[in-house]
Amino acid sequence: MATSMYLSKLRKWFLASPPIEIAISKLRELLVGAIKQGPVPQHIAFVMDGNRRFARTHGIETVEGHNLGFEALARILEVCYRSGVKVVTIYAFSIENFKRSKFEVDALMEMARVKLSQMAQHGEILDRYGAKVRVLGRLDLLRPDVLKAVNRAMEMTSANGDRVLNICFPYTSRDEITGAIRDTVADYSQPLRSRSSSQRTPFSESHIALNIQAQSHNVKVEDTGSDIESTSEPLAHGEDGAKHDRPNKVYESGSSFSSSTTLDLAGHQDIANAKKVAQRAGEDSEPPVFMSPETITRQTLSDHLHTKDNPPLDLLIRTSGVERLSDFMLWQCEEDTEIVFLDVLWPEFDLWHFIPVLLGWQRRISKSKKNPDAEGDFNGDVTGSSENDMSDEVLSSSTKVKAL
Amino acid sequence: MVSHRDKELLRDDVRAQGMKLTAAHRESILKPYLPDPSELPRRSPQRWRKTSPRKTPIRTFLKSQLHQLTYTLIHILFGIVVRLIQSYHAVVDRIFAIVYYHHRTPELIKKDVKNLDRLPEHLSIVLSLRKEEDALTILMDEVAELAAWTVSAGIPVLSIYEKSGVLKLYISTLHRIVTNKLSAYYGSPSQQPALRLFAPHHPVYQPLDGNSTEKSNNNSLIVLLLSATDGRETFVDLTKTLAEMSQNGKLSPEDITMELVDAEISEITTQPSQTTSSTSVGNKPAFDPTISVKPEPDLLLVFKPLLKLDGYPPWHIRLTEMYCTGDKTNIMAGYAEAVEYQGFLRGLWHYAGAQMRFGR
Repeated sequence: MATSMYLSKLRKWFLASPPIEIAISKLRELLVGAIKQGPVPQHIAFVMDGNRRFARTHGIETVEGHNLGFEALARILEVCYRSGVKVVTIYAFSIENFKRSKFEVDALMEMARVKLSQMAQHGEILDRYGAKVRVLGRLDLLRPDVLKAVNRAMEMTSANGDRVLNICFPYTSRDEITGAIRDTVADYSQPLRSRSSSQRTPFSESHIALNIQAQSHNVKVEDTGSDIESTSEPLAHGEDGAKHDRPNKVYESGSSFSSSTTLDLAGHQDIANAKKVAQRAGEDSEPPVFMSPETITRQTLSDHLHTKDNPPLDLLIRTSGVERLSDFMLWQCEEDTEIVFLDVLWPEFDLWHFIPVLLGWQRRISKSKKNPDAEGDFNGDVTGSSENDMSDEVLSSSTKVKAL
Repeated sequence: MVSHRDKELLRDDVRAQGMKLTAAHRESILKPYLPDPSELPRRSPQRWRKTSPRKTPIRTFLKSQLHQLTYTLIHILFGIVVRLIQSYHAVVDRIFAIVYYHHRTPELIKKDVKNLDRLPEHLSIVLSLRKEEDALTILMDEVAELAAWTVSAGIPVLSIYEKSGVLKLYISTLHRIVTNKLSAYYGSPSQQPALRLFAPHHPVYQPLDGNSTEKSNNNSLIVLLLSATDGRETFVDLTKTLAEMSQNGKLSPEDITMELVDAEISEITTQPSQTTSSTSVGNKPAFDPTISVKPEPDLLLVFKPLLKLDGYPPWHIRLTEMYCTGDKTNIMAGYAEAVEYQGFLRGLWHYAGAQMRFGR
């Protein structure tokens, strides 16, 4: 025991001696420079796990463990940004963590506040290196003074954008997904601006609609009839899947009547729809016009997540050997996200643990670039677009099926 | 890397709640560690060009050459190391495969997991369709094997995720194949565990035959088939419905809570549509008391060389332990990782926090 302590002291002294220190930092520089030569993940997420366990095993205060964790974070961020990673997302605090002891929660909050306000003092440096800090999550759960620091830091760096640091502060992924759904619904519940006010053509849509109906059916549209149709509409709308697909198409196409196909089909429903729409247009957007919910896609939801502007997640690293996501980046872990669990506590995490992961990633990417059909199944930059196309295809086919 | 002396300075500052050092002082400590602004990609050239007149083309060139060289060297070295590790694991896996083999005997499988502290209640497995011609047959056989191992190990729920959802099209065939496999393990139908197969938006498939009422084996297995459409697309559908409701004024966006979403999403995997009503979905969420699936899997096994979720439904894997069986063994198996009993067992052992040993 005593010898090992001496050894570790000796080791520490040796590593702290100036020549060794310089040599190590040169070596790190070299390695990072080398990593930079290959493909580099654009977006990495870290779950900084193990601060508390580190503190326990080393017999120091939990808060001190978190401080060491912060140092590890600084080290890793340096490596990431120097080697060309654009976005780093870190899991700093889960909403569930509020259940921890008040002392620890307060200490963490204080740490965040101090760090963020310190950062705000160095605005010029942040500007120079183009770092952008964003705090993601339920900011309303924060203490007011912490919230102030958060807002200040975000505001100061909001114009930068080369390198992004996402700090998931009180965050859970389920909360984020729910929020995305809620925001999407809220967006789609906003009535579109009444079309009649911003008319592109001198023709009245309602008039054209009436004309077409009169032509195709030689029926005089009665006001009472259309009233009944329109009042009974919401019920039918909710129940009949096949039916509501059509009016949606009508909405979708910018101007309600640019697609006359719906009218040419001339089923009974179409008349009803036409009347309904005519009614709406005629009443000068009295019942509001909405965006069609059918236009919601995976992308729509992704665009309402906190990480909307970031490239897709390439790599997710969790330390401390716990092999769970723990409510982090559930949505963002898509087809090509590689999840890595490392058996090292976060305060110990350093370049030496990180480099094998990066090398492995580079190896697979360059392999799959040479041979796209091989196991790595990563298509480089093409992935995003092709995937979107695919999902669109799937979507359109599924809507087709529904329409049938 | 921050030198030891500076580290101590900064740590002192942290202990004093950031009161000890002034902003200017911190900046001066920081300065040597910041990259030279001239190395940065030009963001606002007119501003920084003046401050970086030092141009060192030869040094920069040498540096980049050095980095290139190091990159190549590291990757060669890394490749060798990876190969070595892979071969080591391949050998170990072969030994495990010999030592631990199920011999199609449920008792043997039971024995293999007997000493484990905990077993998952809901096991989920990510499989992938290969690119060969008889890929579907292979896949179905894999599912059948996995189902047999799972039920033998005493795990009541197994969910199989396959991205394309091709399995859902052949539920009855799959049921037949799994039943055949179970009869190879258990013998006559009366000794087989009850098998129920279902997919979201599909009724439970459980053909009723005469002698199934009295079973000597009271184990049962529920197999849930998942595909990519049960994941993010489900959220899209849910959002569509909610948006429609909101547009019709039946719901306000504030009503959308995590509990609501959780209930809606969980219903899809836990409550299959009623057996009697053929395929019409959602008209009446009738609850079938015999089916009770825990929506969150406890363990997710990925039979692939890498831990990638491949579009697995995101909502329920919050607390799921993940284990990738084929982390390093892809040297022999080639493209897709073969589904092997030793991999399955390794996953269960890992979940229980136990080390696998040579020799039972």
